[in-house]
Amino acid sequence: MIKSDQLYHYSVVYGICGLLFLPILATFFYSISSSWGATILPDGLTFKWYLMLWQDMRFIDAFSRSLLISGAALLLCSLLILPLLFVVFYYFPKLQALFNLLILLPFAVPPVVSSVGLLQLYADSAFPLVGTPWILIGTYFTIAVPFMYRAIANSFSSLNLNDLMDSAHLLGASTRQAFFLIVLPNLKKGLLASLFLSFSFLLGEFVFANMLVGTRYETLQIYLYNMRQTSGHFTSALVISYFAFIFFFTWLASRFSRGTQQ
Amino acid sequence: MSFVTVQHLEKHFGEQCVFENINFTIEQGEFITLLGPSGCGKSTLLRSLAGLHDVDAGNIWVDGQNITQLQAQQRDIGMVFQSYALFPNMTVQQNIAFGLKMKKMPSAAINKQVSKIIELVELNGKEKVYPQQLSGGQKQRVALARALVVQPKILLLDEPLSALDAPIRKHLRQQIKAIQTELNLTTLFVTHDQEEAMTLSDRIFLMNQGQIVQQGSAEQIYTQPNNAFVAGFMGNYNLLNALQASQLLGLNINGQLAIRPESIYVREIGREYAPHISKPTPAIIQNHQLLGNIIRYQVKTQGCELCVDLLNRSSERLLQPGSQLELLFNLNELQQVS
Repeated sequence: MIKSDQLYHYSVVYGICGLLFLPILATFFYSISSSWGATILPDGLTFKWYLMLWQDMRFIDAFSRSLLISGAALLLCSLLILPLLFVVFYYFPKLQALFNLLILLPFAVPPVVSSVGLLQLYADSAFPLVGTPWILIGTYFTIAVPFMYRAIANSFSSLNLNDLMDSAHLLGASTRQAFFLIVLPNLKKGLLASLFLSFSFLLGEFVFANMLVGTRYETLQIYLYNMRQTSGHFTSALVISYFAFIFFFTWLASRFSRGTQQ
Repeated sequence: MSFVTVQHLEKHFGEQCVFENINFTIEQGEFITLLGPSGCGKSTLLRSLAGLHDVDAGNIWVDGQNITQLQAQQRDIGMVFQSYALFPNMTVQQNIAFGLKMKKMPSAAINKQVSKIIELVELNGKEKVYPQQLSGGQKQRVALARALVVQPKILLLDEPLSALDAPIRKHLRQQIKAIQTELNLTTLFVTHDQEEAMTLSDRIFLMNQGQIVQQGSAEQIYTQPNNAFVAGFMGNYNLLNALQASQLLGLNINGQLAIRPESIYVREIGREYAPHISKPTPAIIQNHQLLGNIIRYQVKTQGCELCVDLLNRSSERLLQPGSQLELLFNLNELQQVS
């Protein structure tokens, strides 16, 4: 009885997984087929689309730009969020409620609305921000902040921060030493998990990149959008390369968040 | 001047007074317990001594130095927390070595001191283990070792045993006392458990509502409470008002009267006493422990050691180690076992 029940459950789970995996599998096969038109099976298998993609300097540049912008936004995020959270949790714990509310604000405005708002706000600014990577770094910072804040705040809550700081002080450590030697290493897992997760979705961000910067600073998603008219095999290779990269980062994030729970 | 002198110490949180006019002295090597109900200010007083809270008024002198305005880092005070407060990212060895590293001691000296202290707290073999992998009792011993290794002038223990279960608690209690005696370490222990206070302390400071209401040895506080609160907190005193006391005893008594249950004698009506009692056997007291209403003596007699419980009556003065006495056995209560 139990066995047939289990079989049913397994079949449902694997069925759904298989169904969801099918488009990716199809895209992958399409990306390695030389041509696949009017026949059931492809004419032949080849890696030429991947070679073509990875030899295209425009792709490499777009990919590097995406990495650079996401990395810069996340670096900014970490540099601001870590000390901020430490100050809130250690010195002003009552502010936690206010920050929990504030941090939800970026979710309240849809990306299209906020990008139009940003365009209006910065269009006449003394510094020409629109169309430069700077505005994108700033915007990515605001969308990554809630994720980073939540993950790191959870790590802080699981630490017995006051007692740890007190015992470090009594053992002769300054607040700075205690932060770097004790607090920071204990936040490492939460921080890395949130970094990898945020990195994955920032890399795939399209709306802000398209509205605020567009082709003036071509990121990976803009490149993908611009390449939609070329060969389907080529864009499939692009999507699979991109997917493999994201998959790797998501796997890293889940590995680190598993570590946090332990 | 005493090793530790506290004068007119006062602390407020906003409008609320946590403690005021706290005065006491502690001699070097003494084991003092701050005893009192939850919320009486004992933990805040301990943290103020450690420098983790500022005080509003008063002075703290340790070893001839006024430390009132010093940072916690500069006070040379070790502390063990109820929550252990072990650093989760460090192994047992790294946790214990942390204080010495902060003192910038050479690593060879650190290793030597750490292994010595690990042996003292019986944690051999656990050096490379992380705190998450230890039991509660082991964690508390690491915390103790970490506080001891820096050779503090005073050791503060903030309810270190309250998160542990009874057998471990009892064992660790004895271990703390043995280490304190061995190192002749001035120790201030916070607890709300009177049995713990009485078994460990040289002197007890009993606190209530931010005041030290009585200080003295365990025996003094237990047998001579100076107010109704102390009588109510220590043991199970019967508290009678003047009228009740006068009626009961046929004496003219003013104020409240406290009577310990064990100082009331009971004689069963019609029962014959003087049953099968053995002949007296000479014995010598080895040690004593005050367990509230019971005094537990370790005595040596005719080549064997016995544990003897006596009710803690004022008429039975506390016999010191080395005192001679005689033992009598009720032959009806001897139990043969296989």
